[in-house]
Amino acid sequence: MDFMKSIAIAASGLRAQAGRMRIISENIANADSTAQTAGGEPYRRKMATFTSEMDRALDAQLVGLGRVKTDPSEFRVKHEPGHPSADANGNVKYPNVNSLVEMTDLREAQRSYEANINVIGASRRMIQRTIEILKS
Amino acid sequence: MAITDLPLFSMLRTRMQWHQERQRLLAENVSNSDTQGYRPRDLAPLQFDRTMPTLTSIGLDRTDAGHIASLNASSSQTSRLGGYDVRPTGIAVNLEDEMIKVAANQMDYQAATTLYTKSLGLIKIAIGKR
Repeated sequence: MDFMKSIAIAASGLRAQAGRMRIISENIANADSTAQTAGGEPYRRKMATFTSEMDRALDAQLVGLGRVKTDPSEFRVKHEPGHPSADANGNVKYPNVNSLVEMTDLREAQRSYEANINVIGASRRMIQRTIEILKS
Repeated sequence: MAITDLPLFSMLRTRMQWHQERQRLLAENVSNSDTQGYRPRDLAPLQFDRTMPTLTSIGLDRTDAGHIASLNASSSQTSRLGGYDVRPTGIAVNLEDEMIKVAANQMDYQAATTLYTKSLGLIKIAIGKR
């Protein structure tokens, strides 16, 4: 049944968006994770990528979470000489996570998630309509 | 005579299959809405010939006068999707547009199934089972 394919495709979208949310929450949680050693590198922001993959069994373009990439941008540097992670000059590197950007990303992921749920609901109602032919 | 031999029923069946196929493509578009380089796709509108209840138009659409007309319908895309013509609808997925299409597809499908039910009812009246 083709509607089952539609539901499977939307479910792959749900899975990918949930993975994206996991990575965003990792970023938010680690927004202040400094280095373990003095002068070391702090947590680096991660970014989710999506890949469109052909599923032979379903004959459809499913979406999947691709390689998780790291953000190469600069770290935030603060002058805190007493900090355990401070380098010789007293500077501490903080993660390159901007919580505003992460919240925006989270909203976007949520919106896509809801869209996929909408598709599942629509497909489900269409299946129901087909079954209702039998009841007439 | 099978029930699908009736022109009305076979047309409705084709219509329902078309909606099913379209739902699949729309689901693909929505789930790939964040995939880089993904082009959304949609089915070309279903057209019935007046005399034939089967699908007749499976050529590529010409959206611009400069396009070359398609010669035959046996392109790789059409054969893969069982006779329906798939065409790209834009560069990136517009989630709102896709939601509207999903809703419209659902309503049209509902109309087709209701017509199917009513037609079955007519046949039932004709054979005196109601």
